[in-house]
Amino acid sequence: MKRTANLWLIIAIIGFCLLPWHVVEDGFWSFSWVTNIGYVESSSALILMLVYGKFWFWPTALAFAFVATCLATVSNPVTRAKMIASSALFGLVCTAFQGLVIVRDGPRFFTDILNFTSINEGQIGFGAGAMVTLVALLFILTTGVSAMGKGRGDAFVIGLIGLIIALVGVFVFFPVAHILIRAFENKDGTYSLIHFIPRLFSSDIWGLGCFAGGTCGPAINSVILATMTGAGTTTLGLAFALIFTRTQFFAKPLLRVLTVIPIITPPFVIGLALILLFGRTGAVTQLFADMFGIEKSRWIYGFSGVYLAQMLSFTPIAFLVLIGVVEGVSPSMEEASQTLDADRWQTFRYVSLPLMRPGLANAFLLGFIESLADFGNPLILGGNTNYLSTDIFFAIVGSVADPAKAAILAISLLMLTLGAFLVQRRWVGTKSYATVTGKADSGQHAALSPAVKAACYATALPWAIFTAIVYIMIFYGSLVKLWGYDNSFTFDHYLQAFSIDFSNGIRWTGSAWDSYFTTLTIATISAPLTAIVGLSTAYLLIRQNFAGKSAFEFSTMLSFAIPGTVIGVSYVMAFNFPPIELTGTSIILIIVFVFRNMPVGVRGGIAAMSQLDKSLDEASITCGANSFTTLRRVIAPLLGPAMIAALTYSFVRAVTSVSAVIFLVSARHNMATSFIVGRVEHGEFGIAIAYSAVLILTMLTIIILLQLAVGKRQLRRTDRVEQSA
Amino acid sequence: MKKSATIGILSLAAAFASSHASADELSLVCSAEQSWCDLMASGFEAKTGIDVAMVRKSTGETLAQVRAEAGNPKIDVWWGGTGDPHLVAAEEGLTQASGADTAQLLDWAVNMHTISGGKTVGIYAGALGIAYNSEILAEKGAQPPACWKDLMNPAYAGEIQVANPNSSGTAYTELATFVQLFGEDEAFRLLKEIGKNVNSYTKSGSAPSKAAARGETGISIGFMHDMVKLASKGFPLKIVAPCEGTGYEVGAVSIIEGAKNLDAAKQWVEYALDADVQSLAQTVKSFQVPSNSNAKVAPESPDLNSIKLIDYDFATYGSSETRGRLLSRWDAEVKP
Amino acid sequence: MQDFKPGSVHFNGVVKKYGAVTALTKLDLSIEPGKLVTLLGPSGCGKTTTLRLIAGLESATHGSIHIGGEDVTHLSATYRKVSMVFQSYALFPHMSVIENVAYGLTVKSIPKKEAHEKAEDGLKMVGLEGFGQRLPSELSGGQQQRVAVARAIVLEPDVLLLDEPLSNLDAKLRRHVREEIRQIQQNLGLTAVYVTHDQEEAMAVSDRIIVMRNAEIAQEGTPSDLYQRPNSSFIADFIGDANLIDCEVTSTKDKRSKIDVNGQELTVNNIAAVSGNAKLVLRPHQVILSNSGTAKGFKGNITYAAYLGNQIQYTIESDLGHLFATSITYDAPLSVGDNVKISFDTTQVSLVSD
Repeated sequence: MKRTANLWLIIAIIGFCLLPWHVVEDGFWSFSWVTNIGYVESSSALILMLVYGKFWFWPTALAFAFVATCLATVSNPVTRAKMIASSALFGLVCTAFQGLVIVRDGPRFFTDILNFTSINEGQIGFGAGAMVTLVALLFILTTGVSAMGKGRGDAFVIGLIGLIIALVGVFVFFPVAHILIRAFENKDGTYSLIHFIPRLFSSDIWGLGCFAGGTCGPAINSVILATMTGAGTTTLGLAFALIFTRTQFFAKPLLRVLTVIPIITPPFVIGLALILLFGRTGAVTQLFADMFGIEKSRWIYGFSGVYLAQMLSFTPIAFLVLIGVVEGVSPSMEEASQTLDADRWQTFRYVSLPLMRPGLANAFLLGFIESLADFGNPLILGGNTNYLSTDIFFAIVGSVADPAKAAILAISLLMLTLGAFLVQRRWVGTKSYATVTGKADSGQHAALSPAVKAACYATALPWAIFTAIVYIMIFYGSLVKLWGYDNSFTFDHYLQAFSIDFSNGIRWTGSAWDSYFTTLTIATISAPLTAIVGLSTAYLLIRQNFAGKSAFEFSTMLSFAIPGTVIGVSYVMAFNFPPIELTGTSIILIIVFVFRNMPVGVRGGIAAMSQLDKSLDEASITCGANSFTTLRRVIAPLLGPAMIAALTYSFVRAVTSVSAVIFLVSARHNMATSFIVGRVEHGEFGIAIAYSAVLILTMLTIIILLQLAVGKRQLRRTDRVEQSA
Repeated sequence: MKKSATIGILSLAAAFASSHASADELSLVCSAEQSWCDLMASGFEAKTGIDVAMVRKSTGETLAQVRAEAGNPKIDVWWGGTGDPHLVAAEEGLTQASGADTAQLLDWAVNMHTISGGKTVGIYAGALGIAYNSEILAEKGAQPPACWKDLMNPAYAGEIQVANPNSSGTAYTELATFVQLFGEDEAFRLLKEIGKNVNSYTKSGSAPSKAAARGETGISIGFMHDMVKLASKGFPLKIVAPCEGTGYEVGAVSIIEGAKNLDAAKQWVEYALDADVQSLAQTVKSFQVPSNSNAKVAPESPDLNSIKLIDYDFATYGSSETRGRLLSRWDAEVKP
Repeated sequence: MQDFKPGSVHFNGVVKKYGAVTALTKLDLSIEPGKLVTLLGPSGCGKTTTLRLIAGLESATHGSIHIGGEDVTHLSATYRKVSMVFQSYALFPHMSVIENVAYGLTVKSIPKKEAHEKAEDGLKMVGLEGFGQRLPSELSGGQQQRVAVARAIVLEPDVLLLDEPLSNLDAKLRRHVREEIRQIQQNLGLTAVYVTHDQEEAMAVSDRIIVMRNAEIAQEGTPSDLYQRPNSSFIADFIGDANLIDCEVTSTKDKRSKIDVNGQELTVNNIAAVSGNAKLVLRPHQVILSNSGTAKGFKGNITYAAYLGNQIQYTIESDLGHLFATSITYDAPLSVGDNVKISFDTTQVSLVSD
């Protein structure tokens, strides 16, 4: 412990004394701060404190001194740990506090007390030095806490908990608080609680009129939609997962592509395709009108259309969560059931299905939350029905901006999410679902009973065909002049977006190249980070016990549950000013993706990890491996499918998400979706769809490569499915 | 673990230290069509040698971002998009006077400049109109509309589409136009009557005309230049300038308060008002009417001289107070 | 593999609570180096908790734990020189047998080649030479169990912990494997702590047995101590079968007591020095049955008799209550319904508190 603390102390001191404390204008790696050593902007905190009289760095320096003294003089390990931890905490709080209070224009609060010249000069955002110092102080704190005997004295686990709490705090709570506080704002700019409650529960939001023939509030519409979407996607996802793992279906690879393709589809495209199929002048509608004389109607605009689009969009998420879980159900348990004279249906109903419960619950929760936060589909197909997500969007960007209303709607939405989360927790309960124990088995999965198999085929296959048709339509749409009207073949849309000029070296002349490269770069950086943060969090939640675990779990869901628009605006509000200035950079995009998509990694990780018996970790630990090695060598390899799911999903979400990034994209860092939405807004469907088709193909290629690279976990030499007689 | 953590910190540190703006640069948000934005940006780069960092965002999104960034803006200049949000930004002190020369500009463009205290200036105008899908109406055997009041015709039941003024600036312009044409009480009576024929109030202002073009609806209300663009692509869309007269939007350009590249921003405004530059809009199928009196007007553009334009009172109907009142009345009386 | 430094284990007032539930109430315990000590007891008695505390998989609520003289109370499991064999074996399903066994060595940064050589030695020790390339799923239960043992011992731990290692094996294999474990432990001179709920297994492998009950130690000692000198009726009943017969101690002298059983006076051993109401411990094989009318003793009637090959089991309704007896006398087997006289050697039986 002493060694670890010493190391972090040295890193903290380097951050404080040598590195430039603030943001360097032309980038840290330009090393201009080395040559510009005399300037305030490139000075370390030590120089700022001693030379420029920035006295508010003294507490941080003092914290270092405390820690160093404790390390050198106190011999009782527990006392020493306590003293180090409190010194580091003191340093952290003081450093963060000065950053929050003293901004560019001088002090943000307490202007009267803090009326000093050096303070009034203000300061810019945290840079490399500040980051290194803060992180090092955090790890000194966690090292101290672990040495106090907390968490079985495991420094890695405590450090990980500390790090994730800090990250979630800074990148979820801090920004979201900026916008949620507006819910308490009155029209005159003051804040009160008295007006908040009636506004939150007003019938404008929660009205139940639609059960009496009128219209419901957006919250009720959203809840009904989300429940149906959650249930529907889970059912379909399960059907697909069962077909994959328990049958000998002949076209599995094709099916696999079809189950994945909707989540790699940029927003609006599914909605557009549905209109072209089922709209009043849509192909299918025309067909039915001609053949059966069914009257052309506009049924697609409204609840049913949104529901259909969401089912198409979110079934793959349920599938991704469930396939790992279905695969993980130990064959020997199914065999045990069969030897007890249960038939295949009973085995499925009473053994396999209950063991999949955490997976089903997580899939439902994800579908529910995705549906609540989805804004593209209701926007295009919603008709006159109001949903929370679109109402929030227009409360921010509509013709009357009303951040207070947006905040209140966002809080309603969070209440719904919290409710779903609690129900899910209750339903899963505290039973054990471990099926991968250290005791190896080599049995074979039970085949499905004929009835279940028929049910799976009957639900999944028509759906797969439907999906296929939608995507054929989309691809077709990118190759015709005017989709739905002038169906003459053209390649113009692709040329416009993706032309390359070879006349003078390679020049990427197409209009889409810039955003294409930016999007792929950012997605590639954010995906592994998301998977790491998400799965680490899942590991903490499943394998470790610590105070406030439930609150911690819910807080990791927050950023996912809040609609992207709210996240986007809150990020601008929070990270446009010191101490953390990120707007206009690519970092803010990466961060927003990591923390917005992390819950999927967490959910998938929890579902998969609850199948791994705890004795595997313990065996590794008692073999002398630390928690990190255990995570890397034992748990991670056994989480293959969950890992692929997390990676795939976060990559794809980074490429296809639109609402969160609309406010965060900047000229230098524009994203594909923002480009596509702009084109759709102006009716240039051809190029938008061509771009989407290219993105879909790109992502499909990457996903397939990823599958090959990560590989399939090998629990048994062969994964067999019983030949159904 | 230590090793990986150290690497993590270093990369974080590197990330936080990423680059900021350099000297000759302009950060532009464009709220017009992408192709027009691209044309404008590359033209400006060629003319001045200033590097333009441009991103396209809708007006609502831009206004929300400018608000959130107030005090430390990352945007220098905001070009294009309907004038209302530009006026709101001016009213809230989010933009600054550009000192542009308005001598060559048409009256409605100068008007924007005057009522905003020089903080925003008109670059193009587009009139509000009605579009109908000739195939659908023929199929239904309905006569095409010629006036706003024709829209109450029961023959159009379920065939009219228009945006919701709470979310769409276009629809708000329509609401304000009705109020200015017919007086407030009569306007709401008409809107309520027309509402019986409306199949849905869309969120986006441009959606109804797109739906009409494809035959998803028979009739739409929106800006005529959008309709012209759709018709020019081959959709069977016919455009009507209502007989009672109609309102219009003025697209605008504003410099953000606290812009980091003020000189470049001023050059941009000058460039955007230039007659030759404005004449180029039609090459990318943007059929708005340019604000410079010397700029060439596209033959397809709706001829503002032949359309009966009302004297749209941007100052009154752009104010948040009037807006709030009209919208709550709309919610109470018209909203389904 | 000769330079083992077997470690001692000391618990000093260790308390373990899970919320409101107390798993261990103030446990003091010491285990000498090089011995195999068994923690025995019914389920829920705290024996597995004790084992996990030694491993560092749980942390003590109060008190301190020393291994090899070093205070490890706050040391994480990773850094304790103990290794553990799990009830479920906990073999890593994605690693081959050799990778499993070498795992603990490779995490200590021992080069892979050397680690695999040592692992091969370990496999040889448990008789699984040449199985290295297989996956755990391709081994039988007994083989998997031996892999788990090999994985633990190649680390040359100060203390080897075994958590019900045989519970997944069939009876025959169980006896075979426990002999192997005992042999390896003695050959290597390891300190081993063995958890089981099977008293026969405990008697067979242990140097010393610690019997636990209700989160406390009930009695500890060598197998024969526990069998011959139980300090409570619980131990007497738990370690081997016993008939517990109500009696009253009337006087005690030199660890011999006069007792009153069903109105008769007898003199028996009283090592536990009990007085007043007590129980007489009568092992089934100590019961002497006689059907000759002249024999002395308590009266009884055979209600059940079973011939098991190596012995005959009887159940008797008697003046002393319901008795269970075994006999290796085949000459005159008794039958159900026979009236018998019951006696026993009073120098062999002992008393425990009521």
